[in-house]
Amino acid sequence: MSYYSIRKEEWDKILEQLILSYTVFATVSNEFGQDYELLKPADIPHILYNKPKPTTSLKSFFLPVKENVTSARDQEKPRIIMGIPNCDIEGLNLLDEIYLDKDYIDVFFKDRRDQTILISSDCFSTQEHCHCQSYDIKPYSTRTADLSVVQMNGSIIFRSINGKGEEFIKKIAGAVPVNDNSIITGIDKKHKETEALLIESNKDLPDYETTGRLISFANENIWKKYSSDCVSCGACTTICPTCTCFLLIDKPGFAKVKQMDACQYPGFERVAGGEDALHELPQRFRNRYMCKYLWKPRKYKSLACTGCGRCIEACIGKINKNELFRELAK
Amino acid sequence: MLNNKNIYKPIRAKLTDIIDESSFIKTFVLIPEEEFSFKTGQFIELSVDGIGEAPFTPSSSPLVTEQLEVTVMKTGYVTEYMHMMKPGEYMGIRGPYGRGYPVEKFFGKEVLILGGGCGLAPIRSLLYALEAVKDKLVKVILCYGSKTPADCIYKPLFDRLNRTDKFETYRTVDKADEGWDGSVGVATSLLNKIRINIRNAIAVVCGPPIMMKFGTIRLLEMGYPEHDIYLSMEKNMSCGLGKCGHCMMGEFFVCKDGPVFTYSELKSTPDIWK
Repeated sequence: MSYYSIRKEEWDKILEQLILSYTVFATVSNEFGQDYELLKPADIPHILYNKPKPTTSLKSFFLPVKENVTSARDQEKPRIIMGIPNCDIEGLNLLDEIYLDKDYIDVFFKDRRDQTILISSDCFSTQEHCHCQSYDIKPYSTRTADLSVVQMNGSIIFRSINGKGEEFIKKIAGAVPVNDNSIITGIDKKHKETEALLIESNKDLPDYETTGRLISFANENIWKKYSSDCVSCGACTTICPTCTCFLLIDKPGFAKVKQMDACQYPGFERVAGGEDALHELPQRFRNRYMCKYLWKPRKYKSLACTGCGRCIEACIGKINKNELFRELAK
Repeated sequence: MLNNKNIYKPIRAKLTDIIDESSFIKTFVLIPEEEFSFKTGQFIELSVDGIGEAPFTPSSSPLVTEQLEVTVMKTGYVTEYMHMMKPGEYMGIRGPYGRGYPVEKFFGKEVLILGGGCGLAPIRSLLYALEAVKDKLVKVILCYGSKTPADCIYKPLFDRLNRTDKFETYRTVDKADEGWDGSVGVATSLLNKIRINIRNAIAVVCGPPIMMKFGTIRLLEMGYPEHDIYLSMEKNMSCGLGKCGHCMMGEFFVCKDGPVFTYSELKSTPDIWK
């Protein structure tokens, strides 16, 4: 892991050049809030550094809402995605386990992964529902991303995380190794401050394993209570960085269209004869938490909830899963 | 090469014959355009062009690779279209998927097969596989229940097996008709009629969820160890690849971790019979 520094003005000019050879996405602030946007030169001054998560998750860059998976993909420019919070990077670990499973590699997913440089952004502040730290996920990346970026004292500081990131940053004219140790200690200090903020704001939230245990023992009434405001819209699963369920739709010519799906939609588990284990709303609602906190952790190394809190923000019924977990923990 | 293969793309298979098994069950005989083989108990995703696909365990012998047979009961949207198909048309096949029956583990043992309803389709494939290795088995007992005598498909299979050394078959129906003089009752009731050395036996259960539930309970009562009861589970297997999530049953993807499980693997998973 090495640090590189480049003056912000120089980096902004480099980005103008990078846009020509890469498709660049960055977290940008605009009138709609802060989200990943396709970067245009005019957006460069509005790129956000050091900020917590964008509105939507990283998932859709690798798993489009809908795509034909039986036709060949057009050759696309390589991509850079910049400003990814670590909750999204950690979410990608689970996607990698599922879609790069050696028995059945999804070539569409793999192609996109291979063609993308991931530049994560350290969070120097938090949002209301951020709770990554409760699940032992740091507000900065140490794996999976290629590089991490922060803005400090008028400079952009990169931390290379792997060989791909190191190779990329070494080619950036004007990026020089950081020799000033105070910059690195300054970044470390910021990390610790953010971690302290996350611990303070989530001090009564049970950890991942405890949450799984609590959920497994939760009675029917709690699921009825918290699902009473659920309209099965699937916003929670759509915005989640780790929910990846999909449907295959048949098209003429034995073509298949893969479309994102969700266990929150009625009929998700319905079989031809009509039986549907998740017919009742409280069962569907419970299923999502059982999947995330009990079943997926038994199957995969990566966590199925990275504590981004987006499902709480997206819910039109204002259902707050952390309130549910706090109630279970009482 | 496996890594570059498109895992979602079906291969085409020509429908060469359609056998009417009952008023709502047909067997489709298919010749795949590419090399295709399966292990007994594995399943395939069979598609009607542009309409949809559904999971089926082939009902033919896994030893025959030039063609395969899939028995389809008309139950929903896709199977209705399948029943309207004609010989000469093409279907799509993906797979084979999942973990089938570990036939080698049955060597030297008595094999009890408890089946009900449309569960006989995958069982037929297993019976073909067991016939091929019967020298290595002690005996094979098939206990099968159908709703009515008319609902029992593959009738010649029973006659042939009854003439085959080491094979015994027992049948029952929920509701008899005039020509039926056999047992009346659920499939599980046939277990009272058989002689089996449980200390050296395995059991295979395949059929509707309710039959599998009570069949398993009965086998446990008879003294079968949990790890010797093989269940062929059925869920909404959609992708077949352990990715789409539709067939998740607790921590298992039925499509990839199953569809054949031992009861000991599943006993702590809630709602397995739903």
